[in-house]
Amino acid sequence: MNSVLRKLTWWLQRWRKEEELRQELQFHLEEEADERRADGLTDDQATWAAHRDLGNMALLREDTRALWTWSLLEQVAQDARYALRTMLRSPTFAGAAVLSIALGIGANAAIYSFMDAILLRALPVFDPVSLVEVNWRSRPIAFGSQSASRGTEFVMHSIDGSVFRDASGARAGIFPFPAFERLQQSSAEVLSSIFAYYRARAVTVMVDGEAEQADGEYVSGDFFRGLAVSPAAGRLILADDDRAGATPVAVLGMGYSQRRFGSVASAIGQPILINNIAFTVVGVTPPGFFGVDPGRNPDVYLPMHANLLFEPGAANTYLDENYYWVQMMGRLRPGVTLAQAQIALAGPFGEWVATTATNDAERANLPVLRLEEGASGLDTLRRRYSQPLYVLLAMVGLILAIACANTANLLLARATARRREIALRLSIGAGRLRVARQLLTESVLLASLGGAFGVLIATVGIDVLTQLLANGREGFTLHAELNWRVLFVTSGLSLVCGILFGLAPAIQSTRPALMPTLKDTIGIEPRARVRDGLLRVNLRHALVVAQIAISLLLLVGAGLFVRTLSNLHSVEVGFNRDNVLLFDVNAPQAGRSEAEAIIFYDDLRRQLTDMPGVRAATLSHASLIRAGRQLPISVNGALAAATRILGTGPGFFTTMQIPMLLGREIDERDRRETLPVAVVSDLFAKTYFGSDNPIGRQIRLDGRAPQDLEIIGVAATARYGGLKGETPPVVYIPYAQVTFPRLQQLTYALRTDGDPLRYVSAVRALVHQADSRVPVTNVKTQAAEIDQTINQEIVFARLCSAFAVLALVIACVGLYGSMAYAVVRRTSEIGIRVALGARRRAVIWLVLREVCVLAALGLAISLPIALGTSRLLESFLFDLKPNDPGALAGAVGILLSAALLAGYGPARKASRIPPMVALRND
Amino acid sequence: MPQKPPARVELLRGTLDLLILRTLLPGPSHGHAISKHIQRTSEDLLQVETGSLYPALYRLEANGWIDASWERSEKGKRARYYRITARGRKQLVSEQSKWNAFARAMGLLLNPSEE
Repeated sequence: MNSVLRKLTWWLQRWRKEEELRQELQFHLEEEADERRADGLTDDQATWAAHRDLGNMALLREDTRALWTWSLLEQVAQDARYALRTMLRSPTFAGAAVLSIALGIGANAAIYSFMDAILLRALPVFDPVSLVEVNWRSRPIAFGSQSASRGTEFVMHSIDGSVFRDASGARAGIFPFPAFERLQQSSAEVLSSIFAYYRARAVTVMVDGEAEQADGEYVSGDFFRGLAVSPAAGRLILADDDRAGATPVAVLGMGYSQRRFGSVASAIGQPILINNIAFTVVGVTPPGFFGVDPGRNPDVYLPMHANLLFEPGAANTYLDENYYWVQMMGRLRPGVTLAQAQIALAGPFGEWVATTATNDAERANLPVLRLEEGASGLDTLRRRYSQPLYVLLAMVGLILAIACANTANLLLARATARRREIALRLSIGAGRLRVARQLLTESVLLASLGGAFGVLIATVGIDVLTQLLANGREGFTLHAELNWRVLFVTSGLSLVCGILFGLAPAIQSTRPALMPTLKDTIGIEPRARVRDGLLRVNLRHALVVAQIAISLLLLVGAGLFVRTLSNLHSVEVGFNRDNVLLFDVNAPQAGRSEAEAIIFYDDLRRQLTDMPGVRAATLSHASLIRAGRQLPISVNGALAAATRILGTGPGFFTTMQIPMLLGREIDERDRRETLPVAVVSDLFAKTYFGSDNPIGRQIRLDGRAPQDLEIIGVAATARYGGLKGETPPVVYIPYAQVTFPRLQQLTYALRTDGDPLRYVSAVRALVHQADSRVPVTNVKTQAAEIDQTINQEIVFARLCSAFAVLALVIACVGLYGSMAYAVVRRTSEIGIRVALGARRRAVIWLVLREVCVLAALGLAISLPIALGTSRLLESFLFDLKPNDPGALAGAVGILLSAALLAGYGPARKASRIPPMVALRND
Repeated sequence: MPQKPPARVELLRGTLDLLILRTLLPGPSHGHAISKHIQRTSEDLLQVETGSLYPALYRLEANGWIDASWERSEKGKRARYYRITARGRKQLVSEQSKWNAFARAMGLLLNPSEE
């Protein structure tokens, strides 16, 4: 280590050292010359004698220099220079190798950045490690059998939020507000703060007469203090703001305040209308802050109790001990572990939750409090994207493996061509290690160049992937970027690749039999080399087989995803998805009462129907694809558990082109004050009425005010809530007659002439004219909405097909290369065969036979792997078994034809070898 | 494996180092003087090749056994003067005793009749 330091300092001042040595030797020469002169020689003779005495000055300097230069470093630099020169001499080879490595590494870096963004990033707040998320676990809950108002098996009588089910039961992070108050009291010992939040969903924000929908978050008074966030401007929400009757204040997200107010500072103190209630902007969150869920980025933070201003009735929800809705996080006190805090909190929660049980069944199924690490925030993103990303990572990993195998193959071919050069170097005394190191330097240099270009490809790849994943969705929050971690992994990956694909050629080409190789001249095949040559060719064949095997895996994957997508595309939706424009309008948030809102919605529908180019217009509580409302419907006193509800306006079935099988559809006669009616789906009728005619029968809708509905029609079964699940039995009810739950935004659907997007600006103008406080949101075509629900499948099908094609091309290039080489090697043999009368077809077969053997080997290796691993993809498939014979057969067929195509070129060339040329060659 | 340090240096390495250190023991000297001193003191039996001397000097300096500085020679020219360090002295003592032992052993083996 000492010597390293010394060499380093010497290396730094090597120019001075060099000069000193020159001067010293000069002095030596002069002294020597003086001495000779003293012996009686002339000046010239003395100088020459001194020089003779000194000997080879350059060598002397070199020897001395060897002591203080870093010879290893210099050799590496030398190797790199030499490698660059050889690369420049064969630019096609270098280009192909660098490109394939760059594609492989770029794809890996792009996917890895997404994994980094999802799995590894912590919340951008102070000391995120001490944050904990409060959850509960319980036995699996079956909500289908549970009514919202009656006592049941679980204390969670009603919920607003997500409950996740896994093998061990149900898990959720939502609690009744009284539970939050109880934990506030009993957590002081272990938590320095505990805070609650609740998603407000879309709120209408009006600034200077411009209404817009924004993503809102209700937060308890301790939220910002607990997260230890300081404002970019103004102040954040404090405990005093979060009380019933407090002055309404709002905190804006940084991006939102910049967009709506131009700058952060000018937002402070501004009055804004939120859902038509006056609020004052008191502060702006710091840059980069997105709340506690990396999957979201709220525009507006409101005190929790502000929801009382929008819904005076919500006061009950703060007292209801069986209504689960608020989420909680806390910050551990220094020195307290997660386990200690869990023990300290589980007790008080357990005691409290036991008092909320209303019967024995509920007492037996009480939820248990669990604390989980909160450093990376809520795991919505991880839940949604981690599995797809693992699949993508596996795919790009395979691509990189193919690229490495291909480059190794190219390097092997080149090493064969450079065998004489290397043998020469070895024979004049170069160390084997030294030569191997030089070959490795070349491959690492190739890989590093590939890695550098790979980073470029990754930046493009991240953009493309973000666009693919977002697919036009607003507020897409998964943002990946290249950071130092990604770059570190990428450079490590290139280094490993370089060594990996450089090692085999380096080892192999440094132990040729020297004499035969040196004697070898181009074109002649001495006997001594044949065995050696076969060995090398076999390694190259192994690499080609590996490439074929990997290509098959990717082809099978692509086949499965493409077939899944085509299955999804051919799903019968039961309505006409073409030429329909969808958009949301929220009238209650503009300050209308329920009765006023109903009139507004209906007037708007009429005006839209009268628009030129609009054939029909209707509205419903959500589009068929997005809908998912469940209310307790009973038929003859029995709960129809699986039934789903769609609140619709007049003309829904005409507009969506769902055929009516019996009776009539909901129309303008079905108003708020007329008798409540319902249209049921064919499936509902068959399920609950069998072959009876359901028209005129009554079904009962339980709720806060139970209602009897008369069935007036039966519609053909249409898709409800996405393409993938089972279509449930559906009851369509007029939104104006059944206003439980509360009337909110409605989704309009327009059946248009031609491209629906042409009507967007006219629609916006119309709604703005009707009421400027009402924004038009979520504008899209029905077809695009359906595409968004199967976005993951579209992305997978496209990406995997692209990857499979890429892999196939690389593998075919490799195959072509080795076949072409084999043909050149066997030129004379083939010439003799032709001279002896072999037919051209026989010669072609001679080459293709080898292709077939290689392809068959590849298939034999990878088919079992494909069969074994495709099960891992099961959850990504739709209406398809993982070992779908069609996908397998397709993959094998494509692979074989591609291989034969790649082999046909060299085979054809072989068949055209003129026998004379081939024979003269020898 | 590295081909650079040629056989000549290897050949003299042990002894040349010892000789240089011994020569520097009385006082500082420059390269030319060291070479001449060895030559004269050994009655011209030992010829120090310049090609070996300077690499050896730099090596000894690198080992910290000698120090170097630019000074005026007796004729007023700038010359690089080497002087032995404390570590150099220690090295000299151990090398010299090893050499003495080696020389004695060689003497015993080559001239057994003197016993």
